[in-house]
Amino acid sequence: MSTILFSLLIGTPITASVLCAVFHRRRILEVISVTSAGVTFLWATWLMSVVIEHKTISSPEGWWYADGLSAYIAVIVCGSALVVALYSVGYLRRQVRSRNVDGRQLWLYYLLLNVFLFTMMLVLISNNLGFLWIGTEATTLATALLVAFYERESSIEAAWKYVIICSVGIALALFGIILTYFSALHVVPAAGNALNWSSLMVVAKELDPAVLKLAFIFILVGFGTKAGLAPMHTWKPDAYSEAPAPISALMAAGLVNVALYSLMRFYILVNAALGDGYASTLFLVFGLVSMGMAVPFILLQRSFKRLLAYSSVEHVGIIVFALGIGSPLAYFGAMLHLLVNAIAKVLLFLTASNVRLAYKSKIMRKVSGAITVIPVSATFLIVGVFALTGWPPFGAFVSEFTIVSAGFASGHAVPSILFIGFVVSIFVGFIYYISKMVLGTPAARVTGGDADTASLLLLGVLLAALLLLGVYIPPPLQQCIQNAAAVLMG
Amino acid sequence: MNQIVTTIATSLAHLVLVLAIAPLVTGVVRKTKARFQNRRGASVLQPYFDLAKLFTKEVVVSSVASWLFQATPYLVFGSMLVIALLVPTVITPVPLHWVGDIITVIYLFALGRFFIALAGLDTGSAFGGLGSSREMSIASIVEPAMMLAIFTASVTAGSTNLSIVVERLSASPLAMMNPAHLLAFAGLFIVMIAETGRIPVDNPATHLELTMIHEAMILEYSGRYLALIEWASQIKLVVFLALLSNMFFPVGMAATWSPWALTVGVGAFCLKVTVLAVIVAVIESMNAKLRLFRVPELLMVAFILSLLALILYFIIGA
Amino acid sequence: MSPTHIQSIGLLIDICAAAILVTAFLIVSSRNLGFYIRLFALQSIFLGLVALLVVIGYGEMHILIAAVLTIVVKAVAIPIVLTKMIDRIQVQKEVGFSINITVSLLLCGGMVIVADSVAQSILAVQEGGGSAVSRVLSVSIALMLIGLFIMTTRKKALTQIIGLLTMENGVFLSGLSITYGMPLIVEVGIFFDILIAVLILGVFVFRINKTFESINIDALRSLRH
Repeated sequence: MSTILFSLLIGTPITASVLCAVFHRRRILEVISVTSAGVTFLWATWLMSVVIEHKTISSPEGWWYADGLSAYIAVIVCGSALVVALYSVGYLRRQVRSRNVDGRQLWLYYLLLNVFLFTMMLVLISNNLGFLWIGTEATTLATALLVAFYERESSIEAAWKYVIICSVGIALALFGIILTYFSALHVVPAAGNALNWSSLMVVAKELDPAVLKLAFIFILVGFGTKAGLAPMHTWKPDAYSEAPAPISALMAAGLVNVALYSLMRFYILVNAALGDGYASTLFLVFGLVSMGMAVPFILLQRSFKRLLAYSSVEHVGIIVFALGIGSPLAYFGAMLHLLVNAIAKVLLFLTASNVRLAYKSKIMRKVSGAITVIPVSATFLIVGVFALTGWPPFGAFVSEFTIVSAGFASGHAVPSILFIGFVVSIFVGFIYYISKMVLGTPAARVTGGDADTASLLLLGVLLAALLLLGVYIPPPLQQCIQNAAAVLMG
Repeated sequence: MNQIVTTIATSLAHLVLVLAIAPLVTGVVRKTKARFQNRRGASVLQPYFDLAKLFTKEVVVSSVASWLFQATPYLVFGSMLVIALLVPTVITPVPLHWVGDIITVIYLFALGRFFIALAGLDTGSAFGGLGSSREMSIASIVEPAMMLAIFTASVTAGSTNLSIVVERLSASPLAMMNPAHLLAFAGLFIVMIAETGRIPVDNPATHLELTMIHEAMILEYSGRYLALIEWASQIKLVVFLALLSNMFFPVGMAATWSPWALTVGVGAFCLKVTVLAVIVAVIESMNAKLRLFRVPELLMVAFILSLLALILYFIIGA
Repeated sequence: MSPTHIQSIGLLIDICAAAILVTAFLIVSSRNLGFYIRLFALQSIFLGLVALLVVIGYGEMHILIAAVLTIVVKAVAIPIVLTKMIDRIQVQKEVGFSINITVSLLLCGGMVIVADSVAQSILAVQEGGGSAVSRVLSVSIALMLIGLFIMTTRKKALTQIIGLLTMENGVFLSGLSITYGMPLIVEVGIFFDILIAVLILGVFVFRINKTFESINIDALRSLRH
């Protein structure tokens, strides 16, 4: 049964990609993509229910594996993909109408979207560390052409930086995986199993600590580059601002979580093997550095999408910081934050696209009085920003508060204070820019209208979810988060 | 007594061999280059005739030159003779092996170079100074590279004495294929090209201001002085080729004084030197001379190759 | 497998590894873009040879396909693609540097020493001397560092691709040296990924050339903070 489930999870996006490669009619592409995203989301929820019941499932030959953590992140990623696919329909139709995109580009977009989803699923259900690597590199390649989608000077520059920086990082990560494999070869009986995470967890205590410590550094740098952890984050602002908005949304909600997932798997392994705070300290430091580095770039920013990209750097920092604290409460906060961040990013990137549509510009200075020009999107914008930056009663406030409490409780007082400081500064920056965009009087020449009703409805659902999570976390969801946190404990 | 006489006799024989062969090797190089240029070229014996001609010519010395100018040819030639006595060519161990080792050889080269550079400055002509400064700047990178390359070979053998190095190496053929060894050979080869003033570092046949280095320093010499210096350069070439072939691939060298071993030794030596000379000529024909500020880059490659050789020796082991 | 047999295989592996390192240094010392590609092809050939020697000497059959792939893809296919690209976009063959050749070579020499100390600390885990092939680990780490160096100090987009490929070569070599290569399917997947990465980067080089009229990455600096 596990084999069926795993094959469905990967097979659906693959089939969709193949179908997209064959058919070029816009209607068919739209149907394929949305259906595939929806169906994959269904499989992900099925996976979640199976895992709640059985704790873990793996395929017989040991290559595929899922537990509470994988299922939880799979649901988040597939959900984001579904929302993005739905939004893309309206988005691309608008772009085609305004002659920004031709038929061939539209086809390429849907094809790559499905391939992107496939590569992300590949990473999420891999037990074999080699497959984990292959999937992660494949996500870079699938999104590269999407970042360069509009073929502007800036897009090509962004895509080039993206591919080069991520490929360098991932090559270092491969070396880390080789070192892990090396440390395992002595202890795992069958050589083929030495790359399987579940087998490694069993013999974790016998793995050589010195080699594993070195391996973890390489893996942290490598997969951290992919997640956008500072100081390897330099590709993020460029890539997020140049890619089409739905793709940026999926990258910020899906790709980031997939990269964090890989980091988490190794984190669990290294903690089990070393038993001391080596990995935790590294996570704490990198998390704080990411948050700290995001602050100046958020406070002094010109473009809204770049602002969101730096916010993504900050939130990755928050999650990694929480993982570094290492208590069950902190893990709960981290997992909740994963969910909230994903929803908020999708909401904001897509809303940003609406703003861009109306104002024909990404520069924040040029946008003002949105509340009068595009009232619905403007509301989403400002409420979404409050949600993203951790204002009560939204979900992010709950998760960040949990993390800070966990930090103080486990004795990391100074880091937690820094955490609060960074979060507050970023909040100030965001509010400053957003209020200038939303309030005030619009410039005379602005004419454009809002997006279509269906898209707006979709965004409204997201906003409602964010609000809900701030006041009440439904028990099933709580169960899922706790399962994921339990996996992190090892 | 008998010992001393044999040593002197064999040393003299060794010396005569090297002195006699040197112009021939240069002739081979020139002939090969000519062939590459589709000319028939002068005969391989031409350098002998050139030297003979020079010895009969009149010497003209600049009026502002000091005693240094007139002493240098003898100094240079003398140092080359001593080096020739120390480098194993046909037989190992060399008769005078207890006199000096690799470090002596390196410093004798440096001695010759030092005096020629001074002599270039001594005449007060612009060309001489130009040549000397160029030579010295090249030497500053060449010497460390040469030392590193030679040290790698001696570290393998555990001694800096040339004869011992050659002996130990010929005892274990597998050590000759050691990658550290091969890299040191490559480094020393480039060093040889720089030291003997061959293309692509320096053109031995040019007298253009832009391109000459060695020729610039000896521009003022004439008659027997020039003959001595030319001969010394030719001996330098042979000695370097002998170093390259015997320190790294000491096959066929005579271990005893038996006639058969000696014949094999002489034959092997001639063969190796000829092959290397042809290779030098081929490299000269296939490359253009490097612009002066690019020469340090080439020499740095030689230095790095030698450095790598040493590092690899410690990584991979002998 | 007799001891002398293993010893000579070990020697051949050492020679190939030294040759790989030399090609990396020659890339650093070169100014001509064509040389970069040819040296990279040579490097990949030696890398394939090392893999083949591991197959012959240690009987690890699963590397055979990876070895063949290395030679076919990295030594033949990718250089052909890159050369065709150079011809198509008629790029100026001189490579600009931000650090000159002399200093670059010295820095890379230093990196080899650093790589060796890192490798020694990793290899300390192995009881006994370790196999001949594990000595190659220092070379592989050095190759990774030199690849990174090439990427950051040379100014043409194509040289960044070659630097990246050199890094990948280094990682592959390190896999060979301490683990006799990873399982077959993983190696094949990695190859596939690298090939597609090169193709995508190639497409980008074309576009960079089209929009910027050169492939000097100094031009790629419009996106700031």
